Amino acid sequence: MPEIRVTPLGAGQDVGRSCILVSIAGKNVMLDCGMHMGFNDDRRFPDFSYITRSGRLTDFLDCVIISHFHLDHCGALPYFSEMVGYDGPIYMTHPTQAICPILLEDYRKIAVDKKGEANFFTSQMIKDCMKKVVAVHLHQTVQVDDELEIKAYYAGHVLGAAMFQIKVGSESVVYTGDYNMTPDRHLGAAWIDRCRPNLLITESTYATTIRDSKRCRERDFLKKVHEAVERGGKVLIPVFALGRAQELCILLETFWERMNLKAPIYFSTGLTEKANHYYKLFITWTNQKIRKTFVQRNMFEFKHIKAFDRAFADNPGPMVVFATPGMLHAGQSLQIFRKWAGNEKNMVIMPGYCVQGTVGHKILSGQRKLEMEGRQVLEVKMQVEYMSFSAHADAKGIMQLVGQVEPEGVLLVHGEAKKMEFLKQKIEQELRVSCYMPANGETVTLPTSPSIPVGISLGLLKREMAQGLLPDAKKPRLLHGTLIMKDSNFRLVSSEQALKELGLAEHQLRFTCRVHLHDPRKEQETALRVYSHLKSVLKDHCVQHLPDGSVTVESILIQAAAHSEDPGTKVLLVSWTYQDEELGSYLTSLLKKGLPQAPS
Amino acid sequence: MDPECSQLLPALCAVLADPRQPMADDTCLEKLLDWFKTITEAGSSLLLLQENPCLVELLCHVLKPQDLSSRVLSFSLRLTGVFAAQEDCFQYLQGDSSLFVASAAGQLLVHILSLSMRGPAEGPPGLQADDWPACAQKIVGHIEESLRSTAAPQITQALNVLTTTFGHCHDPWTQVLWVQLHPLVAALLEKDPVPAAHSLVDLLLSVARSPGLSSSSCGLWETLAQTLSHLSPTQAGLLALGILKLQDCPQALRAQAFAVLLQPLACVLKATAQGPGPSGLLDSTSADSVTADILLPSKAACVGLLCRTLAHLELLLPLPQRPCPWPQAPLLGAAVTLLQLCGGSGSPASDEGRQLCTLLLGCVRVQRAALDFLGTLSQETGPPELVTQVFAVLLEYLRSPDSSPTVLKKAFQATFRWLLSSPRTPGCSDLDSHALLFLRELLPVLQKRLCSPCWEVRDSGLEFLTQMTRRWGGQAGFRHALLASEVPRLTEQLLRDPESYVRASAVTAMGQLSSQGLCVPPASPEHPGGQQKSLLGELLHILSTDSEGFPRRAVMQVFTQWLRDSHADVVGDTEQFVAGVLQVAGQDLDWEVRAQGLELALVFLEQTLGPPRSHCPYAVTPPVAAPASPLTQALQPLCRVRLFEFAFRALFDCDRPVAQKSCDLLLLLRAKMASSSSLQEPRSSPDVASVEAALQRWRAGDQAQPLGDLEPEVVLAVLRSMDLEGLRGALAESSDHVEKSPQSLLQDMLATVGILGENEADCY
Repeated sequence: MPEIRVTPLGAGQDVGRSCILVSIAGKNVMLDCGMHMGFNDDRRFPDFSYITRSGRLTDFLDCVIISHFHLDHCGALPYFSEMVGYDGPIYMTHPTQAICPILLEDYRKIAVDKKGEANFFTSQMIKDCMKKVVAVHLHQTVQVDDELEIKAYYAGHVLGAAMFQIKVGSESVVYTGDYNMTPDRHLGAAWIDRCRPNLLITESTYATTIRDSKRCRERDFLKKVHEAVERGGKVLIPVFALGRAQELCILLETFWERMNLKAPIYFSTGLTEKANHYYKLFITWTNQKIRKTFVQRNMFEFKHIKAFDRAFADNPGPMVVFATPGMLHAGQSLQIFRKWAGNEKNMVIMPGYCVQGTVGHKILSGQRKLEMEGRQVLEVKMQVEYMSFSAHADAKGIMQLVGQVEPEGVLLVHGEAKKMEFLKQKIEQELRVSCYMPANGETVTLPTSPSIPVGISLGLLKREMAQGLLPDAKKPRLLHGTLIMKDSNFRLVSSEQALKELGLAEHQLRFTCRVHLHDPRKEQETALRVYSHLKSVLKDHCVQHLPDGSVTVESILIQAAAHSEDPGTKVLLVSWTYQDEELGSYLTSLLKKGLPQAPS
Repeated sequence: MDPECSQLLPALCAVLADPRQPMADDTCLEKLLDWFKTITEAGSSLLLLQENPCLVELLCHVLKPQDLSSRVLSFSLRLTGVFAAQEDCFQYLQGDSSLFVASAAGQLLVHILSLSMRGPAEGPPGLQADDWPACAQKIVGHIEESLRSTAAPQITQALNVLTTTFGHCHDPWTQVLWVQLHPLVAALLEKDPVPAAHSLVDLLLSVARSPGLSSSSCGLWETLAQTLSHLSPTQAGLLALGILKLQDCPQALRAQAFAVLLQPLACVLKATAQGPGPSGLLDSTSADSVTADILLPSKAACVGLLCRTLAHLELLLPLPQRPCPWPQAPLLGAAVTLLQLCGGSGSPASDEGRQLCTLLLGCVRVQRAALDFLGTLSQETGPPELVTQVFAVLLEYLRSPDSSPTVLKKAFQATFRWLLSSPRTPGCSDLDSHALLFLRELLPVLQKRLCSPCWEVRDSGLEFLTQMTRRWGGQAGFRHALLASEVPRLTEQLLRDPESYVRASAVTAMGQLSSQGLCVPPASPEHPGGQQKSLLGELLHILSTDSEGFPRRAVMQVFTQWLRDSHADVVGDTEQFVAGVLQVAGQDLDWEVRAQGLELALVFLEQTLGPPRSHCPYAVTPPVAAPASPLTQALQPLCRVRLFEFAFRALFDCDRPVAQKSCDLLLLLRAKMASSSSLQEPRSSPDVASVEAALQRWRAGDQAQPLGDLEPEVVLAVLRSMDLEGLRGALAESSDHVEKSPQSLLQDMLATVGILGENEADCY
């Protein structure tokens, strides 16, 4: 029984590290290869030993697909390709290919810097991994091999994020990665064909949420920043290098311009240039507004946002600083935080989730006395704010996408079990589509009924055409022929050709029926009577009287014989091939009615 | 458990037991479990439970039926397991649809089996299976039942449990177990197809490797031989490889296993043979029709089998227990043939050959595997005509416009390995005349590849060039060929490549070429009088202006190497060079560049003061610049290049590795001071006080103020007064050691309670 199998190694009922194995028509694909930011040991990577059990990864997997550059979707990639040893192709979009190594490098540096981890992937490994990447364009059908093809669709979420359709023959799976169904300040909304896949694997981060309007959150954010700056405070916004940071920059830049504000805005570690470079390079991936205004002014060339220097942190007066990393766990953002934490006029705005153990997590959970190195206690007096700007589809958006794609089944990943359960019911009830939510390591198996392509021989087609019946796409037609299954493909040919190809001799199958006729005359005369009768009845058919006395109508042979016991009765032997079954039966019934009285 | 944690624990247990308090982050529970594991490993679990009754209360509470989150339930079960590994819910767990749960249940089963067989104080149970403890008998019964089952998942589970058992337990009872279960395992081979073939292979190899079993007495070799012949060639490869890796194993079985591995390649050679006659891999009588049946009809099966075979042989080649004699020549022939078939240059005469050709043409997977294999084969040599073919096919791949970037990279790597192995004269590392001839053909290809529109290709080309130059840069033939080509000029141009990875590789390559005196291009005819821009200047420019870290890091590595090797551009004015580089590196935003700056400073320091003595008392130290003069005088050059300002600044760097490295450097310097006979008593002076004050400010994070010119005496005084050991101790702890502490974990978990809203799942 053909089937599609899906096993999440990560993102199965959690939002940790996305890594989903899909087997479709004998092809194995890994969707995303993410890392869990909450762990510092091997658990941060998906447990690949479940695949390595069945031999080398390169032999097992046909390809890896990365949906976007966030580390929980691509962070384990260098580990997977260079340390576990996957040698095959890795597919991602062009922007993801460009930005992914920057984030990986950033993460590596923090890991090595902060924790002094020795057993971590190196820069060289990131580079070698990136060399295995094949970049794809949106809507471009990419042939991974003769049978497997993939196609990327726009997903919103972050620059370069894509959904992927994976197709083998007539079977297909769509994986959404993370997506956003409403446009934001710099990106558009997700879009995909009504491709009716066997399965749609969708994220479900906000499975139970209908999010409030983005405008409200933006207003709130700007108000808070503005107030802090007005009272002479310093605002720290810890961010990851690329992604949400750009959206917040556009937001502040526009606001500063409109309000004619003078307080400086800084962006740390030279990332502005890099981000600008990529946003300019991939301008086609941003939303329509940015693309339109690009000709007059590049939205990513900021007037008010300048590069940050370490010395600026001590400058008097208000300022806003975007600094990395985003969870206040190391480097520059933590350094600035330490300096500013003691002053209640200052503010830190956390625009995203923080894992346990980080300073970001502690202050968000309301801890105000933090123990730092050397038993120093840092008292946090500054204002702490949390504002989520992550761009995921909410429950409405997810339902909308399912409706748009029209899959046979839906599989939920990247969400929490309880919320998934709710969405699952909603999908099953409202859309009448079966829905699955496997946990990590759990395999979901979906039976499929694949259509099997059959080649038709030209001869057969020509013969059909010769009968004057032109092919019509709307009307299915019955076509007779012999099905040859050879070398794992199927062909429909004429029986003659089949015999020839297979070197077989033809056997003829004939049916014979006896019809008793009361006729005392000689057999030859009876036959002659039959002949004249049929000739008069069957005007459209070729009726012949053969020299040996037998009569033929098309392939049907009629012979008259004497009855062994009753001389007044003759036996008509009617014999026909199975092709003339209809005519044969008709003739038999006709003859059974008897012959017309001969003119005496 | 420390008292702070003991105080926090009851509150946390109360939260966990309360179904109304959701626990958002299961990483916390994992970490909590880790912590309990460390505690129980260190001391008595009983004591722990007695001292913290809240734990027992939690576990009892969890057992009551209620709406508890599955996370907390699974956590509690595992915690119970940690305290007392005596759960008997394994049968239920084993049937779980999750790989993880099933595998964990299997492992638990093995632990229980092994624990019960270790027996009570009066000694282990006897070797008669009937005497085994009831628990063990029950487990064995369960395994037997599963092996008799017709359901593949159940068989797989049983085989996996046995594999783990024989892998972990080597006591005499395991042999009894094997003897008992062996017939059931052998019976699996009678089925067609063999169920759970992968797990079966794992089990047999695990048994064969087990030191607790004497293989000959248990009929193991027969079973292995039987399995080899029953499994399909695709499945048998892994078993064959495993058998060949075994230390002692009958020769006939080894031969059978090796034949299994060689079979697919023998088929390829047979199908593509130009004329009749043996291919040399296996005699033609044993050419297996089963293998040919798999290879020929379907592309997927053919590619899969060939890739696996090549990978297995590649793993086997470097092993000491690989088969002897090793059929090097036919294997080389097979690798070359495969590459030709994939590349389209093979023209087999037979029908099978042509069919293979159609299947493999342009197949990147086989190309990659065959190139890797070919590279590994370079460890052995081959007949000259075959080696010529090897180089020809490699050149074909390097030249071909159809080669993908990955394939090209592998072709470069294989080429380098074959060039390395080409010298005929033992002990001589020079390229022989054949290799040099090849090099003349290779360089124009490399030249072309350096201009590729793919950055991956340009980068692989540069990496290859660096490898070659490092190896043969001093050899006349190589130098001549390289200088006659455009390669050095192109490499120089790639310093300005748009892709930072390529710029970095170009920096490394140019550094290497320059070290070997290979990048002195003749003055260009267009600008005969024009000032030749020095490479040093160009690299300094990259260091101070490149927007990406990789090229800047590469420059620092080149500079450090140049200083170490006394490169001509450096020895002219070493102090100016070091001062300039340190000044730029000190301002770099990339901590790895700053750390590399300290590496360079260390080299300079050692060159000025002599190498560290403490490392190896027997090492022969070259007589370089041993400080005959007073230390203060020796420190003058270091002060002139502002090495101390750089190092002190680095000492308070917000990036830990930089601070650590600087600390080590200053400690080394202080050790030198201590051993120096010319030690003067420190005198406190206004200078010292102002430097110390500046350092205090730096430490507090205010690094704006420079130190200015430092006198050696002041440096020495400041060094003496600093608590460098203390600082090193503090730095040695990773900066998140506080955050990682159990106390921090408990605090975080408690703090999160009640504030969970929509934000919890908001990962990115």
